[in-house]
Amino acid sequence: MSGKQDRLTGYDPVRFRKKIRVIIWLVFLVFFILIARFWYLQAVRGDNLRQRSENNRIRIQEIKPLRGLIMDTHGNILVDNQSSFDISIIPEAAKDIEGVMNKLAGLCDWGSDAIFRDSASLKSGRPFVPVRICKNIDRDQMAAVETNSLDLPGVVVDVVPVREYIYGEMMAHILGYVGNISSSELGRDVYSDYRSDDIVGKYGIEKYLDGYFKGKSGGEQVEVDVAGRRLNVLGGIKPVSGYNVVLNMDADLQKICWNAFQEKAGTAIVVDPRTGSVMAMVNKPSFDPNLFNRGISGDRWKKLTTDPLCPLQNRAVSGQYPPGSTYKLVVAAAALEEGLITENTEIFCDGTYRMGDRTFRCWKKGGHGTVNLHRAIVESCDVYFYHLGEMLGVDKLAEYAGKFGFGYKTGISLPGEKKGLVPTRAWKLKRYGEPWQKGETTSLSIGQGFCLVTPLQLLRAYCSIANGGILYKPQLIKRIETTDGQTVRDFPPEKEWVIPVSRKNIDILKYALWGAVNEPYGTGGELKRPEKDVCGKTGTAQVIRMREDASDDVVGDIQYKFRDHALFVCFAPYKDPTIAILVIVEHGGHGGSVSAPIARRIVDGYFNLERRREKT
Amino acid sequence: MKVDRRLFANFDWVLLGLVLLISGVGILNLYSAGYNLRANGELLYTKQMTWVLLGLVVMVITFSVDYHIIIRHAYLIYVGSVLLLLLVFFYGNITHGSQRWLAMYGFSFQPSELMKLAIIIVLVRYFDDNMEKGYSPGNLAVLLTIVGIPFFMIARQPDLGTAMFLLVLSLSMAVFVGVGRRLLIYFTLGGMIFAPLYWFFLKDYQRERILTFLNPERDPLGAGYHIIQSIIAIGSGGIWGKGVLKGTQTQLRFLPEQQTDFAFSVFAEEWGFIGVSVLMFIFFVLILWGLKITRYSRDLPGALTAFGVTMFVFWGIFINVGMVTGIFPVVGIPLPFFSYGGSSMIVLMAGAGLLMNVSMRRFILQS
Repeated sequence: MSGKQDRLTGYDPVRFRKKIRVIIWLVFLVFFILIARFWYLQAVRGDNLRQRSENNRIRIQEIKPLRGLIMDTHGNILVDNQSSFDISIIPEAAKDIEGVMNKLAGLCDWGSDAIFRDSASLKSGRPFVPVRICKNIDRDQMAAVETNSLDLPGVVVDVVPVREYIYGEMMAHILGYVGNISSSELGRDVYSDYRSDDIVGKYGIEKYLDGYFKGKSGGEQVEVDVAGRRLNVLGGIKPVSGYNVVLNMDADLQKICWNAFQEKAGTAIVVDPRTGSVMAMVNKPSFDPNLFNRGISGDRWKKLTTDPLCPLQNRAVSGQYPPGSTYKLVVAAAALEEGLITENTEIFCDGTYRMGDRTFRCWKKGGHGTVNLHRAIVESCDVYFYHLGEMLGVDKLAEYAGKFGFGYKTGISLPGEKKGLVPTRAWKLKRYGEPWQKGETTSLSIGQGFCLVTPLQLLRAYCSIANGGILYKPQLIKRIETTDGQTVRDFPPEKEWVIPVSRKNIDILKYALWGAVNEPYGTGGELKRPEKDVCGKTGTAQVIRMREDASDDVVGDIQYKFRDHALFVCFAPYKDPTIAILVIVEHGGHGGSVSAPIARRIVDGYFNLERRREKT
Repeated sequence: MKVDRRLFANFDWVLLGLVLLISGVGILNLYSAGYNLRANGELLYTKQMTWVLLGLVVMVITFSVDYHIIIRHAYLIYVGSVLLLLLVFFYGNITHGSQRWLAMYGFSFQPSELMKLAIIIVLVRYFDDNMEKGYSPGNLAVLLTIVGIPFFMIARQPDLGTAMFLLVLSLSMAVFVGVGRRLLIYFTLGGMIFAPLYWFFLKDYQRERILTFLNPERDPLGAGYHIIQSIIAIGSGGIWGKGVLKGTQTQLRFLPEQQTDFAFSVFAEEWGFIGVSVLMFIFFVLILWGLKITRYSRDLPGALTAFGVTMFVFWGIFINVGMVTGIFPVVGIPLPFFSYGGSSMIVLMAGAGLLMNVSMRRFILQS
């Protein structure tokens, strides 16, 4: 320990003591500053910051209400709510995002497009906010994630309610589908109380009654930790489920119509002529509304929208067709009411009708001979109606068409309804800048030419004949009710007006329709059911004017898109009709041979159903 | 080695008491902050108890061996610490984007913590050797090298906070010794030249931290999150605190790094201004006690050692508390004896042992 003394000589405690005194003051100053800072934070700003800490841990979380259900007239559920599972990740809680994502991917077979976020895109965005990485996983995958949750920090499984359309394609056009509200929809007044993450009806009843289905969001005051995990519920308001909707539709009958239609394109509608209740409405081809639940893929959407058969179109309300021979009833009613003919007025049909320099043909080569009104309807004699058309003129015909509801929307509770077209002289002049040609009236009198009707309009007109003259609004909805069954809004039958056709004349027409099915040479003989007394009318709507020499029997040779539409409209039983049916098969050919069998299956199915229901 | 019985008569019980008191409150605080927090499956507060016990063992060594002997081996200790830093550079574990840890036999160790004590010891030796010779530019160059090597190695990890801490610690010792204004001027000039240059070497998150420190609300949910949550935690404690286990900021994990850098925020939230004042008073007494030991130490190495360790603790308190209250940027300096961390606790205990070492040997030659 030598040399220590030397060092000691260099040690000057006094010098250090002065410095230490200064340092003590400095230390004191530092502690004073720190304590002052604490005083400022804890005493001065304490209340304010305590409030902020409360806000930190208490959050208002929205609870989405369940969307209302849709039921058929017998209470069968048509649209239900189901759980779908999403996977979200809180990047800050996961820390090693890459690793967690890999683990997640390794856990179960997701399919390549399932995880649609790469880890790089997760890093942007607000901290501690879950980012959805995977939608609509199945239960097995959900279970795998839940059981391994300890190895998957920051991974959260969310339960999202989705619509389940139990009947799939069968009712797609009536029920519609839902989807996330789009930004363009959000801009509209109708959706002013909607938020960007809301689900809205996009089509069909879902869209039309969206405000009823929606319900009211609830909220919960929840205590959350930094990862947003719920720790405690402090209180809140329960969400109010949306209202349930009961339709007039009969699911069993709908199924019968669906099956009766087979694979053809077209539409079938069943209405109760006594009330206007829509009991079934089938469109073919169709689509599966369940596909839209979690956002439809671009490919599928493209396929649906570019399909030449337009599976997304609700033909029953937005398809417009020439009514063909089914229009003859309107012409007949007009002529009777105007006193131009009586039921006994006879006209000779030799199979042709000359108007100016044009020759119009009857569908039956060689003609029907001398026919009265009844036979003309029964055998659907074109020449008879060419004459009536000439007597009436286009504008008178249009007037009666309007009285039967053509040219106006029926007001059914479905979006996208068309109003058809009832041509008049004024219309032609305005539309084409040309005067009306007499020959055009001739075409019109057998439902060809400019005239366009929607299937629903046509059926409604026939219903008014069936029920003795009342034009009802087609009523799809029966009732809107709360979840516990209390009625919120009723939809009783709505009479639009009474058609200006006398009871006697209606009976004449009705009897003629009975004859068309039940008498010899009737065009609707296919529907002849002795015990049921069906009344009906065939129609064949020309898509293009056929060459005069073309044979009627070569349907198979004509290119599909140029083939005629086949129509059949009927009601039964004759005495007090309870059911009215319209069938249109697009490009099907002859109404009597293509649409009538479908209508027959529906009629048979309906009465079987009735009988079965009466027994139980 | 001869052990004088008088040494134990002069043992500094006050210092031991203060250190144990703070460590005890720290463990209690850890219990509250993370009674369910685990590291490698072990509860944090029981682990911290282990660190304290291990630290006490090291402390026994550092106060038993005469500090003159320790200082004689200063360069060995220094070189050893630098070598460990070098090992970190090659084999260190990377966490949160920086390479600070050395894993050995199932233990993780942070050599940069050891460096804090090593730099004190080597500076004591250096100043003691060169006191009379004065400080020529050449000597100063040596001094700058001694501090510079670990500084850049730690800054490279990157752990700018700890690197700056070394600088501040060295600077305060230099000022205390009286190296002179010239050195101060060199330091300041060097700092002014290098600071802007250094900006380019900073990692993004470091720049972000500095910018955020200047304006925490700049990014309230990102980098500013830590500071804001800490201030909310402290402030919401109010005068009386929310009570143990009742700090919502803590219990709900809004507070980041609550067992290490922000441990004091937990304490402030749960114990309020009253608790903070008491704990700060204890820290204040500890610093005064360290300065008292400095003042009454027998020789220059003793005084410098005592002063260095005292400054080690003092700057730790100032920077950490300044950081959690938003006076300083978030730099990751633990609160001495209080924050969770094995390396930090053991090194500080060793430092406390050195203080005791000086304290109990101050009478020996005089009597």
